[in-house]
Amino acid sequence: MDITPTHNTVPLCNGDFRSLAEALDYAASGRTGYNFYDGRGRLATVLPYSQLRSEAQKLAAKLLATGAEPGGRVAVIADTHPDFMRVFYACQYAGLVPVPLPATMFLGGRDAYVGQIRRLLCDCQAAIAMSPAGFLPFLLEAAEGLELLFVGQIADLDGVDASQVKIASAPRCETAYLQYTSGSTRYPRGVIITQKAVMHNLSSIIRVGIKVQDGDRCMSWLPFYHDMGLVGMVLAPMASQMSVDYLNTRDFAMRPRLWLNLISQNQSTISFGPPFGYELCVRRIREPEVGRFNLACWRVAGIGAEIIRPEPLRQFARILNSCGFDSRAFMPCYGMAECSLAVSFMPLGHGLWVDKVKGGDFTDLNREFLPVVDNAVEDGEQINSFVVCGCPLPGYEVEIRDDQGNVLPERHCGSLFVRGDSVMEGYFGKEEETREVLSADGWLDTGDMAYMLDGNLVITGRQKDLIIINGRNIWPQDLEFIAEQQPEVRTGDASAFSINGRDGSEKAVLVVQCRGLDVNAYSDLAHRLHGLVKKEMGIECLVELVPRNTLPRTTSGKLSRSGARSGFMARHTGSKASLSETLYSFPEISAQAI
Amino acid sequence: MKRDYDDIVKTLFGILDEMLEEAPELDEDTDLLEDLGLDSLAVMRLVEAVEDEFDLAIPLNVLADVRTIKDFAGQLQKMLEEK
Repeated sequence: MDITPTHNTVPLCNGDFRSLAEALDYAASGRTGYNFYDGRGRLATVLPYSQLRSEAQKLAAKLLATGAEPGGRVAVIADTHPDFMRVFYACQYAGLVPVPLPATMFLGGRDAYVGQIRRLLCDCQAAIAMSPAGFLPFLLEAAEGLELLFVGQIADLDGVDASQVKIASAPRCETAYLQYTSGSTRYPRGVIITQKAVMHNLSSIIRVGIKVQDGDRCMSWLPFYHDMGLVGMVLAPMASQMSVDYLNTRDFAMRPRLWLNLISQNQSTISFGPPFGYELCVRRIREPEVGRFNLACWRVAGIGAEIIRPEPLRQFARILNSCGFDSRAFMPCYGMAECSLAVSFMPLGHGLWVDKVKGGDFTDLNREFLPVVDNAVEDGEQINSFVVCGCPLPGYEVEIRDDQGNVLPERHCGSLFVRGDSVMEGYFGKEEETREVLSADGWLDTGDMAYMLDGNLVITGRQKDLIIINGRNIWPQDLEFIAEQQPEVRTGDASAFSINGRDGSEKAVLVVQCRGLDVNAYSDLAHRLHGLVKKEMGIECLVELVPRNTLPRTTSGKLSRSGARSGFMARHTGSKASLSETLYSFPEISAQAI
Repeated sequence: MKRDYDDIVKTLFGILDEMLEEAPELDEDTDLLEDLGLDSLAVMRLVEAVEDEFDLAIPLNVLADVRTIKDFAGQLQKMLEEK
């Protein structure tokens, strides 16, 4: 078995298609395609675009033979597996709407995962639900009692007679797919992306962002259920007829060096990751093995999906410099599922551009960021370093606004709004949530804080309240929900947020107010919450129990997470050492006080 | 190589002892999350070590039903028998 080649037999066509199906039609005329590697870095499956197209078309007819109506949703567990590609593209030919679902699993996490998949099946009102064999038992359990036309894996459709089904050749469905945001698992939001939006974004990514050229090859371990993995590393390569080599996210997390091995071995030129991915390599790669890699080929090392801190990236470049990695390959970018994927890219070959500014709290609206000139810093003055994320792609309008909606000048920090052809139609089945972020005249409130610098975007803070642990987004409401499910805890009595640990990494904190517990019950609840958070979210979480009326509320009576955080910090200042080392921080209040 | 259950448990103890800086007393009922406090990255390191030791590929879904060392050893035994 050989991988699909890097060089193609047909001329490069830069994503100028009307639909994903049309793009695959063209890609199928060449010899490039998708390749899948196993957890040991061995080639497992080769799927040239030509073969993918014919398999997808056959599957399309079978999906329609189940009775699915045009525009019907086909939920598919987006494990890094060739079956995902077959189902996703079959939907493109059938005029159905694929909905990639997460393929994450934690130790002992069966119930939490099944519950999450069930909520998503209901939210997108799936007509069909599919999965590769490995996840099938969970999908079957999640779909129990739901009225679906078909639940199963591709092989289960073998016997279906689709000879009477006609596949239309004209553009099939205005909606290309639904993309669940990496937001709350408890309150999911499915972004509606049209063919027009995604094709516009792909064309910008391919022509302006990474400037695909003959000889390019991609390598990716990003999950297919995230926008960067799906649009950036599945759709963009296909729409520019590049070959891609895939490694399962889990296998990357376990053996990060496989990422660099595969790039070296196949001489890949393009690979993206969140900052955390680069950091994991720094942590796990030993000096003596660096000589095994050959990374001079890597011309685009994209970075996105999180706030970018420069230091771990510099370390990555330092360690891998001797095997040819060029730090100018680093390409910070900014985007989100609500914009199909990409909003801005740094210019190719520029590397990291760090803007050093004076100031403390960088989430203040309308504060001006004065640059640090010639490293002149007064004693005790706080300095922030931000990585510049480049100019918005063509077709985007960008505004930085204060809380009154006024547009702010350069170097003033505010809320980032964008408008353009790649922006979503809205959230599926959620008019109110859509109206909250998308105005009638097309402006999207990104929820991120930013300032402009010579036409470039500088992101200073991310979506309000979001917690990021080891590269994963954790939504505070999911942690709070876990607490509120406990019999001792009332709705609205839990608040979750993150604090910075001593090593600079984020730590999740869950503060819960409760009453009338003795010491044993108190300890029992704290331990139970700690265990549940670990089981359902896979993270370590500090749990603090406090007396009633400790958590501050906003004027509208809602719990204030930033207020809860300030209170927590105030209670624990001076005891920071024990904070980052212990599982729980119990305030020194007597049992009677509770 | 055929490994019996006790042997698997003993190997798991060894891997965990090496992985954890301050390993508590381990027994079959030790809960990997609640007693040992493994987060998702630590779980990945554990799975990596176990895969290398037993020369197995452990699918993600196997972990869904694993809470204790006994659970894990049982799953591994099953996989080794099917190998």
